[in-house]
Amino acid sequence: MNKIIFALASLIVLSSCSSDLFRESSEPASNNNAVVALVNSAHTDAAANKFDAAGATLERALRIEPRNPALWQELARVRLQQGEYQQVESLAAKSNGLAGDNKSMRAENWRLIGQARLKRGDHQGAQAAFNKAAETN
Amino acid sequence: MHSAALKKIKRFFSAKWIRLSLLFLALLIAGYALYLDITVRTQFEGKRWALPARVYARALELYPGMKLKPEQLETELLMLKYRVTTGNPQETGDFQREDNSFTIRTRPFVFWDGAQAARQLRAVFHGNHLDSLEDINTQTAVTLVRLDPLLIGGIYPAHNEDRVLVKLNEVPRDFINGLIAVEDHKFYSHHGVDPRGIARALATTVRGNGIQGGSTLTQQLVKNFFLTPERSLRRKFTEIITASLLELHYSKDEILEAYANEIYLGQDGNRAIHGVGLASHFYFDQPSTQLNLPQAALLVGMVQGPAIYDPRRHPERALTRRNLVLHEMRQQGFISPQQYENAKNSPLAVVKTAPGGTSRHPAFVELVHRQLRRDYRDEDLRSEGLHIFTTLDPQTQQIAEQTLATRLSQLEKTRGITADTLEGAAIISNTQNGEIEALTGGRHARFEGFNRALDAVRSIGSLIKPVIYLTALEQPSTYTLITPLDDSPLIWRERGAKDWEPRNYDKVSHGNVPLRMALANSYNLSSARLGLALGVQKVMYNVRQLGIDRELPPYASNLLGADGLTPLEVTQIYQTLASGGFRVPLRAIREVVTADGKALQRYPLSVQQVVEPAPAYLITNALQTVVHEGTADGLNKYISPDLNAAGKTGTTNDLRDSWFAGYTGDRVAVAWIGRDDNQPINMTGAGGAMTVWGSIMAQLDAEPLQPPVPENIEFVWVDPEKNLRADETCAGAVKLPFIRGSAPTETAPCAKTSPVKSIKSWFKRLFE
Repeated sequence: MNKIIFALASLIVLSSCSSDLFRESSEPASNNNAVVALVNSAHTDAAANKFDAAGATLERALRIEPRNPALWQELARVRLQQGEYQQVESLAAKSNGLAGDNKSMRAENWRLIGQARLKRGDHQGAQAAFNKAAETN
Repeated sequence: MHSAALKKIKRFFSAKWIRLSLLFLALLIAGYALYLDITVRTQFEGKRWALPARVYARALELYPGMKLKPEQLETELLMLKYRVTTGNPQETGDFQREDNSFTIRTRPFVFWDGAQAARQLRAVFHGNHLDSLEDINTQTAVTLVRLDPLLIGGIYPAHNEDRVLVKLNEVPRDFINGLIAVEDHKFYSHHGVDPRGIARALATTVRGNGIQGGSTLTQQLVKNFFLTPERSLRRKFTEIITASLLELHYSKDEILEAYANEIYLGQDGNRAIHGVGLASHFYFDQPSTQLNLPQAALLVGMVQGPAIYDPRRHPERALTRRNLVLHEMRQQGFISPQQYENAKNSPLAVVKTAPGGTSRHPAFVELVHRQLRRDYRDEDLRSEGLHIFTTLDPQTQQIAEQTLATRLSQLEKTRGITADTLEGAAIISNTQNGEIEALTGGRHARFEGFNRALDAVRSIGSLIKPVIYLTALEQPSTYTLITPLDDSPLIWRERGAKDWEPRNYDKVSHGNVPLRMALANSYNLSSARLGLALGVQKVMYNVRQLGIDRELPPYASNLLGADGLTPLEVTQIYQTLASGGFRVPLRAIREVVTADGKALQRYPLSVQQVVEPAPAYLITNALQTVVHEGTADGLNKYISPDLNAAGKTGTTNDLRDSWFAGYTGDRVAVAWIGRDDNQPINMTGAGGAMTVWGSIMAQLDAEPLQPPVPENIEFVWVDPEKNLRADETCAGAVKLPFIRGSAPTETAPCAKTSPVKSIKSWFKRLFE
């Protein structure tokens, strides 16, 4: 009995870890508290599968900081969940354009592009994007 | 026997006759009541359900650190009709400003993503920034808060264009309390009629003093349904039955709501002002939700006689009447003595002239309506009471409207043009998310007529050139910013089209011109030659890629913008350039919410990369050269050269249209000037539209344009005239962006690394 409870508990813990799409990154998305609050609220919405609301909240954040690559990336992530793969690629590309020499940001964008291409069945394109991600990092 | 039989028969007949007549009468009354019942219910339902869609401007977001001048916050609050108080703000919708510190009691509001309660805030500014934001009640810092958004218009039922129907919760409590105090203080307890009132009315009628008084609010509502002002006993009887019927079917709140929307409150020429919503606009130029106590009391006072108490024609009478209402309200405990004193001493606050329409910005509201029509049935828009949250920035809009109007008048004056013949349009959007912040469709902003921003299809002239140059710069092996272009005369023969012989504006051909200077000086010959070399089809393909759905035929003359586009379409082209090659459809709507506050639909940000980052970067650089040293260098009289704005002038054949399109770091704007009859205005793009653009941008506190440098762009010193590599020591050398590998490889003799120079310096060293 105890074993079953332990197994269940670890399963719950594991499953909550595995949704790394919305993991909290170590550094905040912005040094503007309003933006940070909006990003957190978008994470909460996305975790509850409220992707429309998450998108709306990220757009609010983008109105405050339109040149913040992290926010464009967050929006790309939400669109990935919504199955809007063309949007994912464009939003991640937009983030890349603003990311400058932030390598981990760029690598993550390429991973998102790769995932979007995979979902669309473009395996070659996906591989190219994953390679880009590996090169960039 | 005979007489007895006769009596019997008589009795029989008379009894039957009476019974029959009684039955008949009862049937008649029942029938009449039924008829009235149906009539009044149809009337009532018909009016009740036609709630127009409400269109709101963007809500101003406040957060510490934001770029905002204290004046801008004050303007916003005043636009929202927040009341200035000298002491501490007491009521929701009050604010106090002391230099850089504001105390605001915000109004509650239901947004797309939920309700925001009323709060008491302290906002402190430092210079042009909001420094701190605090909730006074909880004494905690506030990270982000929204003010309620400005109501900018409605989409009204077609047959009832003039109504501004309101929900009961949009009718100020003061108005309802006032009505109850003055018109019908037993409203909540009677059943539609007040017997004592009727008795009183009957008495006066019997005494021959006419039929009057004693009407409950319900009866008054019924009177308004039957529009004839007839006064008779039959009418009174009908009124009483109908009023009772109404009370049977509907709640007190429903009756109040109908009353507030029906009540006759004035006359504007041959247009009757019905309802508190329209009256609010007509007298105060504001929505009913923002009426304060004295304003609400004035409207209540006018119920008895809108003509007698017309505050514009008889201000003193109106004031006395208003104060009587206030007095009654205090007597019956609806307001405190303090409120009474304050309200009694406030001015009538009626706007001098009734505003032209109920919409503040009809041109923008029209765009909203069109975008909505793609997704909703028009009858739903006009009747379901939807709340439409838009992208309009009321402050930017005001700047655009005022600037266009004043600049057009100035241009007419200084150039000796007949007054009021020039027309224009201006659109301002956000470079990154495509949200339209302002849109004007003509110089008379409140006139709901021809909307030039959306519907004036005019030759765009040189505004199309950046698309030619972008198409070239997408081929870095052939074209760079300094590739020499041939500006010699040209005759183009095409089967099925007239020979095309473009000319330069200065009628001179300029030989070989570096690509960026050909664009900067808007040379027609070199641009046309470049377009023909690239292929007209290819250029037109790019026009579509940048966001134009309209089919522009691939005629050579279209390379110089012979065909027409609307200002809105032009804005879309420049939007895509401004956002670095990402096409973001221009949007006017953010969200749609149902009448009871449920989220219905969102119009999300959508982005599509249609141009590679590097050529997009290069074309922006070339458009910055246009402003820096080309046809738009006059712009620097309006805005700081440090903004590094990018833009393009547009002038059409015989000087019929004057265009300017361009962008800063945060905003894209397009301005157009021309005549509605398409007659020449003798104005170039720089002479007309550019000055509108410049003075709008100067007031907007624009961000400098610093597009991010794509990874495959390098900066190289070059001699642009000779198309050679150079260094900073060379005369006339400039440092320009190139797609990696496309910069010239040959080096100018003046450069340190040049072979000529190294030989020279070797000799120099030898002999020194």
